Parts: sequence; C-alpha cells; structure tokens
Amino acid sequence: MASGLDAGGRAASPQLAEHEALLRQLRISRALAPLWIPLFTAVMAWGMRWRIVGAAELRQQYARLRSESDAPVLVCANHLTMFDSFAIGWALGGMGTYLRHFAWLPWNTPEEVNFASTWWKRALVYLLKCVPVKRGDDRAEVARVLDKVALLLGLGESVLIFPEGGRSRSGRVDEEAAAYGVGRLVNHVPGCRVFCVYLRGRRQETWGGSPRRGEIFDVRGSTLEPKTDHKGLRGSVEVSRQIVRRLADMERSHFDDRQ
Amino acid sequence: MEASEIQEQVVKILTPYVKDQQALAKVSLETNILEDLKVNSARLVDVVLAFEDAFDIEIADDDVDEVNTVGDCVRLISEKV
Repeated sequence: MASGLDAGGRAASPQLAEHEALLRQLRISRALAPLWIPLFTAVMAWGMRWRIVGAAELRQQYARLRSESDAPVLVCANHLTMFDSFAIGWALGGMGTYLRHFAWLPWNTPEEVNFASTWWKRALVYLLKCVPVKRGDDRAEVARVLDKVALLLGLGESVLIFPEGGRSRSGRVDEEAAAYGVGRLVNHVPGCRVFCVYLRGRRQETWGGSPRRGEIFDVRGSTLEPKTDHKGLRGSVEVSRQIVRRLADMERSHFDDRQ
Repeated sequence: MEASEIQEQVVKILTPYVKDQQALAKVSLETNILEDLKVNSARLVDVVLAFEDAFDIEIADDDVDEVNTVGDCVRLISEKV
C-alpha cells in the first residue's frame, strides 16, 4: 500500500498529510489507552460520582451493533453540556470493552475554541480521540473536518456527532437546528449506520458547561436507517432532519417516562 | 440567463437570512455571506436549497464548500442553469 509520502518523507498533498497526522494520532491514543481510559473512567465514577441509568441496556445495544458488522457507526446524540461526549463514551462501553475494542470508543468533534487555550487541553484533545472543529468557519474548513471524520469511519472507528451543531440553547432538542454535515457523512460513507443516543442529567434543566458532581444521567439508544429519495445537498439535509427528529422523539419518551 | 439577473435573484433570496441589513445596500460579488452579511452558517444550507428551488437546479454537497461570497453563488448557479 502506498504510504502517501514523497521521497523526502513528506506527505504528497495537504489532504494526505492530514490523513497521516490523524492516523498517527490514532496510534498514539491507542498506545496510551491503558493509561488514560482507566484514569478518565475513575474521574467520572469516583471523582465526579456520575451515575448513568440505562447504561447496561445501551452497552448491549451498542455492542450488538458493533459486533454484527464491520460497517461504520456514526453515533448521533443530543447536546447539553461540554462534557456530554465523556458521559456518552462511558455509557456506550466500559473500560474493559474499550481496551479490547479501541475502535468502539467514539471519536469526538469538540469546538476548538473551548479546548485550544492551553497546551494541556490541546494535548488532552489529541489523546482523547478528538478532531477539533471551528464552528461557523469557511466551508472548505468544514469540508476538511468532514473528510477526516469520513476517513475514521472508513477505518472502522466509531464517531460521535452532535447533529444540532452545538449545545441546545433551549435545553431541548431543536428540530430546526439540524446540521447538514451529519447527513452528508451518512450519505457519503458506504454502509454507514446511525446509532442515536439521548442522554440527560436529572438536574440538567437547560444547556450548560459541566454536569454537576453526583449527577444521575438517564440514557437511551436507538438505531436508525435514514432514507431519502433526494440526492446532493437536499438528500443530506433530509437525512440530518430524520436523525434530529429521532432524537426529539427519544426526548419526548424520556420526559414521558420521568412523569 | 444573465449573471446580473442571477445576482439580483441571489440577493433577493439571501435577504431574509441577512442579519446586517445595512450591508445589503453595498452588496457586490465580493461580499462574504457569513462575514459581511452575517448570515448564520447553519442557515446557509437553507439559502442554497432556496437556490435549487428558484433556479430549478441540483446542487451537490461538495459545491456548498465553495460558497463563500455572492460571486461564488452566481458562478455556481450560472454553471447549472
């Protein structure tokens, strides 16, 4: 297989250079996983004292989905706090699962501005399977991020995306806020499957920074096969809307069950 | 269809999404849709879908990546009508 490097050891194109860098990040993150996965699990379980109701069922669903086929899995979730991806990662699989199946631990696409301020935050983002994004950036930059995510999905890595494009300012899933990039990924990555996850802390009234210490989360999952007769942009938008609509349905079920 | 006609239609379609209405007065082909007109980036897709309807064309996902200015819109539509 061609390495994509020229005679001087440099990548032959900017895109290949980015792919090489991403693969290097994956190798480093995987090599250090026996250190950081137990550490972060301990921080969530004992440091923050978070508890996730419904995690056992969610893990079964997710493990079944990942085991039944090698096809890519895009995890799509609602978004209320800056640490949702940590809690969702923990809800989807335990420490042992991720050490055995590192690809099952989803990559995340955090907003760069939230994590770029200090070197140790940048190092953490690098280690914790993240592809930082600049929201509202020019379209070519968005396309570059989608290209990286598509590469990861093609490698069999799970990826977590928040299809609303950011934390929901209303505290509820915003069906009008479907970011079309999610649908674009689903339509462009052959065989891509969608696993919707709804997670909410019981004391989480609206959007915020960090969930509180001792928070109890409720979580539920649902597989989705988005379908569209449209092509191009319209097809991508329709798929994104189906995903966000499913999350909104899951939210309604969540509140119905809590009554 | 003339480029000027397309530009006129493009500006008309953009108008409801523009937060800085004053910027519309001096709009040109170089006007950046997100930065100058302050159109919400999430709404840019709705704008492009409106182009599809208005000009009866189909726009690919990749084409949206090239849309930054009013001139980009005019060029994209001109290629497809």
